[in-house]
Amino acid sequence: MNETAAYVLLGSLLFAIGLVGFLARRNLIVIFLSTELMFQGVVVNLAAMSRFHQHVNGQIFALHLLVIAAVEAGIALGLVVLLYRRKGTLDSQRWASMWG
Amino acid sequence: MTPASSYLIYGSFAAGAIAVYLLLPRPGRSTRTAGGLLGLAALAAVLGLTADRFLAPAGVDVVFYVSATVALVAAVKMITHERPVYSALYFVLVVLAVTPLLLLQEAEFLAVALVIIYAGAIMVTYVFVIMLSQQSDQPMYDRRSSEPFVAVFAGFVTMAIVAGQLGALPVSAAPSAASSPAASAVRDETANTTLVGRVMMSDYVVAFELAGVLLLVAMIGAIAVSRKRVPSDVPVEEGPPPGAIGRQVPPF
Repeated sequence: MNETAAYVLLGSLLFAIGLVGFLARRNLIVIFLSTELMFQGVVVNLAAMSRFHQHVNGQIFALHLLVIAAVEAGIALGLVVLLYRRKGTLDSQRWASMWG
Repeated sequence: MTPASSYLIYGSFAAGAIAVYLLLPRPGRSTRTAGGLLGLAALAAVLGLTADRFLAPAGVDVVFYVSATVALVAAVKMITHERPVYSALYFVLVVLAVTPLLLLQEAEFLAVALVIIYAGAIMVTYVFVIMLSQQSDQPMYDRRSSEPFVAVFAGFVTMAIVAGQLGALPVSAAPSAASSPAASAVRDETANTTLVGRVMMSDYVVAFELAGVLLLVAMIGAIAVSRKRVPSDVPVEEGPPPGAIGRQVPPF
């Protein structure tokens, strides 16, 4: 396995671990933290591919991804605070029933 | 990829998946030690897969193994920890462990930007929100997982699909400088930050401006979202009106 494949494997492992956390946890904030972990996996992958192709495109993509992750974190946390005010809890299962 | 190595790959991923399933929060914590040991064994097996050519430059560096171990252990602890504050702190550890990996891939500006923005700004915001919305100690929803088996199975299938394709990558090293002399000449002479800045401001300036607009819109949106008054579905007892406590406290 060459170097790029090792980094791609690591990036996809981080992504898969974030995916498991996203699906398995009930705390809303930990769900969003797992989303950020998925972003980390993608960043590792992009940096490895950028080195593999000897071009800086992947890193620029990763920088824009950083901007989008920051934006998503800000708005998602604002919504989480609203949801917490509504129900008094951070449990995602409380919102499982589709009542208004 | 020989069948033996593919069995090793899938077997180590299956062992890791079982380990994560055992480590996820569940009532009755007796499976944590077993999950931890199995997870470390699976981690050793996965990192051993990359050890065909152990030493640089044909293979990966020793720093890769240390950072990869720290990143993966911190990631698993992040998703399985029962307290959200510890999850946020373990995520900071993941970001700090990913930084040497990015430095090894010659992405210096990205590594430093990641530390400053992710570990510095985003995680501080997360910790603030966790502190503001924390309930009693150890609420029930932190001690249980929803559908842990399905989640772990989905993660395992994702890894199996990706790793199944990794065997098809060429075994030789990355394309050397001889294949793209012009690009490598530019790369060798300029620093990574200069190169990233030059390419972003010339080729991708539209995306750069759009990112700025996106940040502005998101800031306005976050303010608009946070100012909304929502009625609480849970009965909340009314505190004293503003100023009432101040009238009862004698000044100095």
